[in-house]
Amino acid sequence: MKLPQGGKSELTFVGSLFLVGAIVAWDTYSVELPAFNLTISPRVFPYAIATLLMILSAILFINILRGDTAVPEGHAEGTPIEKSDYRAFSLVLASLLAFLLLIERAGFIVAASLTFFGITVAFGNKRHGRSAIFGTLFITLIYLAFTRFLNVQLPAGIFKGLL
Amino acid sequence: MSNLQSLLDGFASALTLTNLGFGLLGTFLGTLVGVLPGIGPALAIALLLPITYTVSPASALIMFASIYYGAMYGGSTTSILLNTPGESGSVITALEGNKMARRGRAGAALATAAIGSFVAGTIATLVLAFTAPSIADLAIQVGAADYVALMLVAFTTVSSLLGSSQIRGFIALSIGLALGLVGADLQSGLSRLTFGSDAALEGIETVPVIVSIFALGEALYLASRFRDSGWAVIPMKGKALMSRDDWKRSWKPWIRGTFLGFPLGVVPAGGSEVPTFLSYSIEKKLSKHPEEFGNGAIEGVAGPEAANNANAAGALVPLLALGLPTSATAAVILVAFQTYQIQPGPTLFLTNGALIWTLIASLFIGNALLLILNLPLVRVWVQLLKIPRPYLFAGIVTFALMGAYALNTSIFDVQVAIAIGILGFLFRRFGMPITPLILGLILGPNLELQFRRALQISGGDYGTLVASPLSKVLYIVLFIALFTPVIARFMRKVRKDAHA
Repeated sequence: MKLPQGGKSELTFVGSLFLVGAIVAWDTYSVELPAFNLTISPRVFPYAIATLLMILSAILFINILRGDTAVPEGHAEGTPIEKSDYRAFSLVLASLLAFLLLIERAGFIVAASLTFFGITVAFGNKRHGRSAIFGTLFITLIYLAFTRFLNVQLPAGIFKGLL
Repeated sequence: MSNLQSLLDGFASALTLTNLGFGLLGTFLGTLVGVLPGIGPALAIALLLPITYTVSPASALIMFASIYYGAMYGGSTTSILLNTPGESGSVITALEGNKMARRGRAGAALATAAIGSFVAGTIATLVLAFTAPSIADLAIQVGAADYVALMLVAFTTVSSLLGSSQIRGFIALSIGLALGLVGADLQSGLSRLTFGSDAALEGIETVPVIVSIFALGEALYLASRFRDSGWAVIPMKGKALMSRDDWKRSWKPWIRGTFLGFPLGVVPAGGSEVPTFLSYSIEKKLSKHPEEFGNGAIEGVAGPEAANNANAAGALVPLLALGLPTSATAAVILVAFQTYQIQPGPTLFLTNGALIWTLIASLFIGNALLLILNLPLVRVWVQLLKIPRPYLFAGIVTFALMGAYALNTSIFDVQVAIAIGILGFLFRRFGMPITPLILGLILGPNLELQFRRALQISGGDYGTLVASPLSKVLYIVLFIALFTPVIARFMRKVRKDAHA
């Protein structure tokens, strides 16, 4: 039988949810219980969740094979599902990872400005120079407002001592 | 001290310059996020949670409550002018409201939405002020086992009624519950699902999870999908005013919507979808102009908008009186309470009475401010829709990442945020609702606590879970919600009829 667009990846997703359930069960099983006695073991609740997750994802897996594939959010029922734009998706993801890698090394201003710029590109902005300048100014303003007035700690990074 | 006296004292403290300022800021921010497609009230409050560390509890809660109400006012503007409902409660408003705008009646649609929201919000807040304390009085007798039942009912209704697929709702819930497990178990000190990470021992912070599942998840999803779909704002002619005839046709739907929305907010019925759908179909039945439905009938805007606002006020009853959130936004407000070590629930009115009455008073004030902000100033908000989408999302994403990092100045929270963002993308792509996940994450640890407490009292006898009359009733409700999703099917039918 033929699955609609995205059907196979949905099966992978639901299959990995089943795996998550299995991992919860395994983690609960392998952890050492404390010596003292509790009326209700700290294992009861995790086991219940693991079981629920595994049973439900198994049922959904079968349902998908039978044709109950997902309707993406904001998607009108019945219209064909277009393929995801992985280029834009990767750009957003890369921008997020840039923040993660740079926040403590280069500081908030560098990391966040880069993220800001990356997202504007991913969302189809064509005027790159303009968005880079605007983004950097905006982020610097945010940085100053939060660190000076709201006492939020953000790493200065390479601008240490300058700003 | 009578409730009325307490309420008046609440007004006195809500009307101080600082609190009024935060209320105004909240209504402003709430309308802002409501108008902007892509940010809902839950995300807005979660983004602003970090400020709770520097502001007094009263001011912060006043601001959050104002955002909560404000986002609904703003949301209707977007549904009417843009046909892009920002949250589930405005889906119905978009049906008739957008048609009205297309026929050049945007002003009347916006006015009936704003005035209807004001009427409903005021009546519902009044009912809230006089019912929540009595419900809290009753709730003091609610035992641990009853709480278990209550939470299970909330889980079931939210998972069954949201979205199109019951099983996907329950899977979302289980994932949320599993995320809630991470960290050291409070009772035994046992580390669960930490995989050797020290940072994970303290558990997953709920705030970055909420922020990233909405903000990062939405950004990843929209980038991958709707690249070219820009926003087509319908230009608004004239002022946001209603004619005599509009008033005559609107006031009854407002009142009906209020009394439909409020009770359905108090009982966990899965958020604002059900009451707005019900209000729409009732107005369609009762209308003298049924032929106008589908072409821009004012009753179809007035009723659901009132129901939506009354529903939001109703949802505050279980939140304040029982500590039980029934929507994503209410769940975030619960987290806000908890950051101040305040636990909403039956004893809240005794332990933090002054604070809660200030909060309730500020809801009245907020509603009045919102009417002013939204009627004469509606054009200012419409300008916001002209912010280019790339800039809007770049701003949201960087704010979300900053919030995740700044909470504990920890890189671990940023890692969690990005992972949750990807999860949020997958949930959207594969049609799984987000709200059950959030409820599971926030209420899961509480459920386990009450579950254990109940069984410790009974010495391990599971029969205690169904021993009280209340819990028996609740489990019957649970089974009804579980096995007869008629309402869901009914709603789908209404939706189809409305589109046809």
